[in-house]
Amino acid sequence: MMIKNTVYRVKDWMQTDVITISPSATFTQAVATMVTGHTNGLVVAEKGIVHGILSSMDLIRHLVPDYLEEDKHLAAFESGDQFVTRISEIKNDSVKKFMTRDVHTIKSSHTLMEAAILLSEFNIRQIPVVDDAHKLVGYINRTDIKKAIADILELDA
Amino acid sequence: MEPTFYISILLFIATYALIISEKIHRTVVALAGAILMISLGIITQEQAIEGVDFNTLGLLIGMMIVVGIAKDCGMFQYVAIWASKMGKGKPIFIYILLGLIVAIFSAFLDNVTTVLLMVPVTFVVANNLKIDPKPFLIGTILLSNTGGTATLIGDPPNILIGSAANISFNEFLINLAPISLLVSLVTLGLLVLIYRKKLVATPEDQRTVSNFNPREAISDVPLLKKSLFVLSIILLGFFTHSVTHLEGATIALGGAALMLLLTMHDPEHHLKNVEWTTIFFFIGLFILVVGLEHVGVIKLLAIKLLELTQGNMTATTMVILWGSGIFSALIDNIPFVATMIPLVKELGTLAGLPLGPLWWALALGADIGGNATLVGASANVVVSGIATREGHKISFTEYLKIAIPITFVGLIFCSLYLFVRYLI
Repeated sequence: MMIKNTVYRVKDWMQTDVITISPSATFTQAVATMVTGHTNGLVVAEKGIVHGILSSMDLIRHLVPDYLEEDKHLAAFESGDQFVTRISEIKNDSVKKFMTRDVHTIKSSHTLMEAAILLSEFNIRQIPVVDDAHKLVGYINRTDIKKAIADILELDA
Repeated sequence: MEPTFYISILLFIATYALIISEKIHRTVVALAGAILMISLGIITQEQAIEGVDFNTLGLLIGMMIVVGIAKDCGMFQYVAIWASKMGKGKPIFIYILLGLIVAIFSAFLDNVTTVLLMVPVTFVVANNLKIDPKPFLIGTILLSNTGGTATLIGDPPNILIGSAANISFNEFLINLAPISLLVSLVTLGLLVLIYRKKLVATPEDQRTVSNFNPREAISDVPLLKKSLFVLSIILLGFFTHSVTHLEGATIALGGAALMLLLTMHDPEHHLKNVEWTTIFFFIGLFILVVGLEHVGVIKLLAIKLLELTQGNMTATTMVILWGSGIFSALIDNIPFVATMIPLVKELGTLAGLPLGPLWWALALGADIGGNATLVGASANVVVSGIATREGHKISFTEYLKIAIPITFVGLIFCSLYLFVRYLI
C-alpha cells in the first residue's frame, strides 16, 4: 500500500449543506429540525455567525433536572411522569439556554490534522467551518475524518 | 487612642460591609482585609499566624474529605429513601421523617452538605406524591440549622467555639443536643401545622412511594462499608476525647487519611474538592479578628456590654443569645461568631462570669438565628438557589413569613432552656 503524500485540507472533506437553527428558536423547533434533518447535531447560527452547537445530548441534559444530574443515586426513584411533565415545562425554552457555547471553529484552508486534534482534544463530534469574516461556510464531523482516513488507506467506500 | 485603633476598626467595618454587600466574593474580601491588617502594621505576620485556628481548619478539611468520598456510595440517599418508604406514603409522616433525617444528618455533617444531599431527595419524593416541593425545601433549611446545633461538628460556629474554648464533643452533645432536639421538634410541629393542607396525596401516588426499594440507591457496597467504618472511627474518636485527648483536627484528618488509604483513591481529586474558598474565608476572618483584639477594640466592646447588663449573668446570657440571633439573621453567622469568641473570653476575664452558659448562648443564637432569613446561613442560600433554578423560587418575604415566627419561638425555647438549666 502506498501512502499518499499530500496535505489533506478541511475544504475538501467538509460538508457545505449545514443544518442551522437560530439561538432564539424553541426546544420544540430544535427537536423538529433534528427529526426532519435526520441529524443529532445542529449549528446554532444567526446571520451566518456561529453562536453554538446543539446536539441531542444537549436536549437530554436540559430535560434532566439539575438536582438529578448531580445525584445518580436517585435515578431509580424519580416519578415516571416527570419525563412528560419536564418536556411540557421546557418545550418553549429557547435554544440559547441549553446549547453548547464556546464552540471551536476551524477555517476551510486549515488541515485535517488540526480538525482531528480539535475533535480529539475536546471530545466533540463536529466543528463548524467559518471563513475569514467568521461566517459559517460548512462543518466537518467525525464521519468526514473517517472518510479521509479510508481514502488514505485506499479502502473502498 | 492610637491611630491603629481607629484604622483597625475602619478596616474591620469596611470588610464586614463588603461581605454583606456580596459585591465581591467574601473570601477575597476577608483575605484582602487580613493582609491589610498586617501590611498597615496593626499586627505582625507572626501574630496573624498565631491567630489562625488550625484546629478548626483541620477539622473542617478532614470532614470535607471524608464526606466527599463517603457520599459517592449512596448511603445518605439510602437513609432518606428508606425514611420516605417508612412513612407508608402518607405525606405528613414522610414530611416529619424527612425533617428528622435532615436534623440528624446536619448534626454530623456540614449543613450545606446536608441540604445538597437532601434537596434532590425531597424533589423526587414530592414529584412522586404530586405535591408542591416548597414546604419540603423550607423545612430542609430550617431543620438543617436546628439539627446542626446539636454537636461540635454540626455547624461551623460550633466548631469555632469548641476549638477556641476547648469544649469537647461530648460536652457539646450533653449541653446542646437536648435543646437542639426540642427546637427541631417544635419547628417540625409548626411546619406541619402550617402546611398540613398541602400535604395530601392520592392512594395511588402513596403506593408508589411505599413501594420504593431503598437498596437501589446504594451504588457501591464496598465503599459503603469503608465509609461506615471510617465514620464510626471518627465518632469514636470524638466520644473518647476525654481519654485520648486527641483534638478535632487530628481526629478528622486521621479519618481522611484512613479513608484515602482504604479506598486507594487518587488524593488529588478529593483534595481539590475541599471547599478551599471556605477555608481561606476562615483564615482571613481569624486574622481580622486578631487585629481588632490586638488594638483593644474587643476589650472595649466587652466593657460596654458589661455596663449594659451591669455584670448580671442572666442579662448577659440573654443579650448574647438574642443579639447573636438577630445578627446571625442579618449577616453570615461565621464572621459574627469569630468576632464574638474573644469578646466572650474577655467577659470572663473582666467580670469573672462563668463562661459555659455564655458559649451555649452564643452557639444557640448564631445557629438558630441563622434560620430567620434566606441569607442567614449558607444552607439557606444554597437551597434558595436550587429552588429558583428548578422553577420553585422562594421569595425573600415569603420565606420571612414562615421563618421569623418559627425562629422567634425557637429562641424563646432556647431562653427558657438556658435559664432553667444554667441560670437559676
